[in-house]
Amino acid sequence: MIWKIAKKEFLLNLMTFKFAVGTIICVVLTAVFMPILAKDYQRRLEDYNENVAANEAELRKVKVYKNITPTAYRPPNVLSVFGEGLEKQLGQSARIELGGVSEISATSTGGNPFLSIFPTLDVTLILKVVMSILALLVAYNTISGEREQGTLKLILSGTIARYQVLLGKLLAGLVTLIVPVTSAFIMGLLILQYFPMVSLAGADWTRIGLMYLVSLIFISVMYNVGLLFSCLMRRASISLVLGLFAWVVFVVVIPNGSVYLANYLRPIEAKEKMDAQVRDLREQANNEIQDLTKTLRTGGNQGFAMGAFRGIFIVYCEKALMDDYKKEYTLSEPVKLKCADKIFEVQQQYLSGLMKQKHLARTIAQISPITLYESLMSALAGTDLASFEHFRNRVKLHTNEVIEYIRSETDNFSLPSYFTQCKEEDYEEGKKWDYDKLLEQSSPLNLQDLPRFSCGPERLTKALPRITTHILLLVFINAIFFTLSFVAFLKYDVR
Amino acid sequence: MIRQIIYREILENLLSLRFILSLLLAISLFAAAGFVFVAKYRQESQDYWKDTNENLSSLSEQTNRLCDVARYRQTVYRKPKSLALCTEGFEKYLPNSFRFSVFSMYIPQVRGRGNFDLGRFSDMDLVFIISLILSFIALIFTYDTICGEKEAGTLRLILAASIHRHKILLGKYIGVMLTLGIPLLLGLLVNLLIVISSRDVIISSVDWLKIFTIVLLSLLYLSIFVLLGMFVSSRTAHSANSMVILLLVWVGLVILIPSFGRIVSDAARESPTQAQLQRRLTEADQKIRDDSRSGKFGRNAGMFSSDPEKCNPPATARWYNALREAYNQVYEDHLNKMIVPATFGRSFTRLSPTVLYQCASESIAGTGINRFNSLYQQVKRYQQDLKEYIRSKDAEDPESLHLLCDHGQAIRDWGVISKKPVSFDTVPKFRERDLALGQSLKLAIWDIGLLALFNLVFFAAAFVSFLRYDVR
Repeated sequence: MIWKIAKKEFLLNLMTFKFAVGTIICVVLTAVFMPILAKDYQRRLEDYNENVAANEAELRKVKVYKNITPTAYRPPNVLSVFGEGLEKQLGQSARIELGGVSEISATSTGGNPFLSIFPTLDVTLILKVVMSILALLVAYNTISGEREQGTLKLILSGTIARYQVLLGKLLAGLVTLIVPVTSAFIMGLLILQYFPMVSLAGADWTRIGLMYLVSLIFISVMYNVGLLFSCLMRRASISLVLGLFAWVVFVVVIPNGSVYLANYLRPIEAKEKMDAQVRDLREQANNEIQDLTKTLRTGGNQGFAMGAFRGIFIVYCEKALMDDYKKEYTLSEPVKLKCADKIFEVQQQYLSGLMKQKHLARTIAQISPITLYESLMSALAGTDLASFEHFRNRVKLHTNEVIEYIRSETDNFSLPSYFTQCKEEDYEEGKKWDYDKLLEQSSPLNLQDLPRFSCGPERLTKALPRITTHILLLVFINAIFFTLSFVAFLKYDVR
Repeated sequence: MIRQIIYREILENLLSLRFILSLLLAISLFAAAGFVFVAKYRQESQDYWKDTNENLSSLSEQTNRLCDVARYRQTVYRKPKSLALCTEGFEKYLPNSFRFSVFSMYIPQVRGRGNFDLGRFSDMDLVFIISLILSFIALIFTYDTICGEKEAGTLRLILAASIHRHKILLGKYIGVMLTLGIPLLLGLLVNLLIVISSRDVIISSVDWLKIFTIVLLSLLYLSIFVLLGMFVSSRTAHSANSMVILLLVWVGLVILIPSFGRIVSDAARESPTQAQLQRRLTEADQKIRDDSRSGKFGRNAGMFSSDPEKCNPPATARWYNALREAYNQVYEDHLNKMIVPATFGRSFTRLSPTVLYQCASESIAGTGINRFNSLYQQVKRYQQDLKEYIRSKDAEDPESLHLLCDHGQAIRDWGVISKKPVSFDTVPKFRERDLALGQSLKLAIWDIGLLALFNLVFFAAAFVSFLRYDVR
């Protein structure tokens, strides 16, 4: 009997005006946006490739180990077309330096701040706004509408139990709503395939599959919200108005309100405070280095040149000076490294403050299934803050690798090859140096075995715990709304 | 007769569930916005005064020598505005600190305690609430004005009486606008009461006038949606269909089109990157170096030597100022190139009345990108004033070479600027000036005109559709 009701309901839904308009709009919007989003991704990928190539070209020019200061770039995320999340707002690159911390600004200082006035646009936005409205529209008159028409009496006068009616309606609603969601996904993926630079790996497909699943669960939550109001009210128009108010609260009020509440409950430190701390640490390290290298001289007969990554290196210098340089670097580099570690800690602390605030806001906002859905989509797409932290950690690891490499090649920064290409036999006192000739003679280092930076998206298995809890929560909300509408329908007055 | 229709419409609306719900929603949101604004304003004022006083006290430390005042890098911060209550204009994303000395102007930066990760939409200010929630409520009130009455059968009865159709339409329009005015005005009242009673926020008389203008603007904006609702309602036979169409149109106008901005500006105009800036700085540096070598600034420009014959202070000053000027030019170009895509995207999204309304109220409240631009210009003007001041003070000192140039060594060795102390009181200080109401209205005139045009179009459409409406 459930099947019969579901079939009737489904066929009725298919013929309605709202269903036709909703589906068409969903598909058309996807068809319009997908190429734009894919093109945008393609452009970012080109930029990224260009940057990486330029970085590699510079690496091939490096002549002394001191000048190895490459930049690590964050590859753009393919799945950002589905859930943009923070993809464009967060830092894209980090310069890896021996003494300095690889600075990844959390805010995109390199980007254009003026563009932040526009809200983000991605497939999630279309699904969350258009589809949730469609779900409400499909659901609002399932019970109250049938009562108004008088058909509810007829149905219930049969031998069918009330729960069967409700289950049938739920089933029909879900099947109806699967159509636009699926067509939007298929449309989007087909268009994506058309772009040659967009390549989806196996893990990406798993993620997209999960996104599809999550979208379905989300749509069913919105359907259940509509169903609940339909079971509570006697008139269809009132259940629609109530459902829409709930929708506005979910879409606009809760996400914004939670931000303010979180800001209020857990205020964050000004960024300047962290900057000041970092400045102090730098100054401290500088003083320490100055103390250590007081006795060493820096002037003398020497010649500099600009090397790779705009770093300075020594082309020639007299022997005494070279010994002093060797001592200086052996003493100063460990201090710089220690300072860099401390600065990383300070920045980490600031970032974790931001994380906590964000977490609080998200927790509050999870009353709204729409926020929950949004955060799930960005987590699945790998564009949420946790994924950014993953990038940060990778950069830190890579920095350590590079430092380890330099350390092993230069015997703890004490070999002359760290800062110059002068040969031992050039040390003779009073020799006349030919700057141009020496500069020409100097050859780039062979850096084949220097570790290169690579950062794929976070492994899905690592992100799984936080994704699973969110999905369970979404399912739970689903169950609650359905139970409520079930209780309401059991007591529904059919007259 | 028209009065009777208005009266009936209001009474019917007042007793409905949707009215109670809208009233509750509007008042609670406006109240929340009031509390949020007061807390934020307090925090921002604190930060602002702390930073500004720090800047001024450092400036006063420089007054022992005139050359130090000239070389000192000041930072001017954006002052929190009480009218940000109405619309914040995304100011938390816009650069808010301007660093400059008499000779250089850097790119303004975003500083302060902001969590980049939060706040997807915009700020929960009055304009935001009105543009999203109240426009939605306007549709909820109007989606069944015509077709609902047809379904209930009452439309026939009304038309059976000797009343013109346009009078019915007008009466309904006025009735809905008046009902809609209740949540709007009550909410505003609650909001303003909260803000005023906090005593932190001072609203001057000009500000009151501006708030009043924004309220008028809000009514103009809401009337678009009322007319849209009536138009669609008189085009459809069933209120359910009219609701579906209206909702989709609303989503398009209020949520989707404003989101296009980013994509449009990304696609059409490329934002300059940090790497480009660095490259252009290097190029500028190289060009000045070449010019100097070719003797454009005079012999021995930039030479410092123990041999006074080899030094040429005027040439060095010319060279150094040219360098500074070139850098400033690069920075300003970079800034302009960043602003252009944003304004371009904005003008594209003006297809949506929501964006028009936001832009117009930003102009009137004096917030947003317009304010940033005017603040930047004011800082530059102040920089010129300060330069004039330095020049005039410098002229009084016979020991100085009267070559305004901030090269450290040139000042130390040759004394190109006076090293005499000056009184801190005579040093000009920066003060931001707001635009007068007339000027802000002039900025907003196009947006207001377009809003009025939207009104006219929808009114005409609703009128024509209702004249031909099939009552059966």
